[in-house]
Amino acid sequence: MKEITAYKCKKCGRIHYPKHERCLNCQHREFELVHPEGKAKLLTYTQIFNLPWGFDERFLYIGVVEFENGVKAMGQIAAPDGADVHTGMLLAAEWRPVRYVSGEPVYGLKFVL
Amino acid sequence: MRDVAIIGAGMIPFGRRDQDTLVDMLAYASLKALDDAGVSAVDAVYVANMGGGILQRQTAIASALVDRVGLLPAAADLVENGPASGGSAVKNGVLAVASGYYDLVLVAGGEKMREVTGWKATDFVATLTHPETEYPYGITLPGMAGMFTRLYMEKYGVTREMLVEIAIKNQQMGALNPYAHVEMLITKEGILDSPHSVVNNPPMADPLHLYDACPVSDGAAAVILCPLDRVKELTHNVPVIVAGFGQATDTHTLAERDDPTDLKAVTLAAQQAFERAQTKPAEINVAELHDAFTILEIAESEHVGFFKKGEGGKAVLAGKTKLGGQLPINVSGGLKARGHPVGATGVAQVVELTWQLRHELPKERQVKNARAGFSINFGGFGNNVVAFVLKRGEK
Repeated sequence: MKEITAYKCKKCGRIHYPKHERCLNCQHREFELVHPEGKAKLLTYTQIFNLPWGFDERFLYIGVVEFENGVKAMGQIAAPDGADVHTGMLLAAEWRPVRYVSGEPVYGLKFVL
Repeated sequence: MRDVAIIGAGMIPFGRRDQDTLVDMLAYASLKALDDAGVSAVDAVYVANMGGGILQRQTAIASALVDRVGLLPAAADLVENGPASGGSAVKNGVLAVASGYYDLVLVAGGEKMREVTGWKATDFVATLTHPETEYPYGITLPGMAGMFTRLYMEKYGVTREMLVEIAIKNQQMGALNPYAHVEMLITKEGILDSPHSVVNNPPMADPLHLYDACPVSDGAAAVILCPLDRVKELTHNVPVIVAGFGQATDTHTLAERDDPTDLKAVTLAAQQAFERAQTKPAEINVAELHDAFTILEIAESEHVGFFKKGEGGKAVLAGKTKLGGQLPINVSGGLKARGHPVGATGVAQVVELTWQLRHELPKERQVKNARAGFSINFGGFGNNVVAFVLKRGEK
């Protein structure tokens, strides 16, 4: 998953995503750039029915995952209504359009069952 | 630092106020607070508002308010801190008086959210999420709360029955509050225990349902602050003392929290407020918690120390947080029923506590002999939180 860059503190090892100028744990300023690796474990999720302006879908599944190398991120889950989505399940992460602005796709994390 | 007192409080009924502009509402609430205190001029004005620039395409709202209300040439600032704008504005007003720089300060909070569609209002509030790693996905504040609720239910055994009980309690209180947006009584059968409940109370952001959320509202509230040692010369009201406040922040994104069920900023803000006030949670008689979603009333009541983790929901079922219970919470109806015009909320909580501590409310809504009140104004999804401890002073 090269499209996502996370930041591993060179002093304490804490992984940050998104970017911070100083480590949230030890305030160190140097980071190793890392990318999410492996399967994504679903930490929590919701199925949203009242969507904001800009979305035409009837609902969206959105979740927070942790990749095998510790990177944590939010993304959409590609799942039909009533799908067996549950915390702890392993998902594959893809880089796909997550919304359209003026007809142009905006790319982001899409987790696939 | 000087002790600071609230000597005036005013609010306009929350709801859908198509006839009023944002500045109209702020002006009406400000005049009520000025008249309540019995003062005609102030040194400085702090205005809380989150969405004027987005929803009304109006900026510099504090300048507009002092002109509209005839408070020129008072100093005037806008405080924008998401849904905690109100708490932040009151805090800034308190600091201004406590420092000795200003003697009389007006704090007014307001928001006008109903002139756009629900889609746009939802999108407006979602602009407080992270612009690259959260917002593009369509996450909403109900969505954030849904993800939080799922984890909180798993970890602490919170049930939908507990959440429904809060919705019922707060709408019961809202029905008694003439300032509340929602005045409709609801039943457990209607929103949980019958086939009709599926239609009446559909999922909004699973596991949260429609009646777990506050409404989108218009409204405004205001208070007048002064040094405690000038109360007698300035007003006939019983002063309410700002005994302590606290404010703390947490990570912008939910994903970066080590334990997303731990609302660290709530705990820290409350600890600071209690410490400054030299007061313990058990000494509080009435609390206004930020129940934008029912789960937050439980989670906040536990994080600030009113109940142990896992006990807040049980306390609700046992009636401990009702009027007449061990600690009445959201006797105003809370955000759930009073409504949540985001910039107004933190100020409205302080107004409600002021009325409670002055013992001015009708019997059906007054916490008997209340002497200490507490509020939590919860910004973002817990990434910026303001807490107050208020106490009844001597006339």
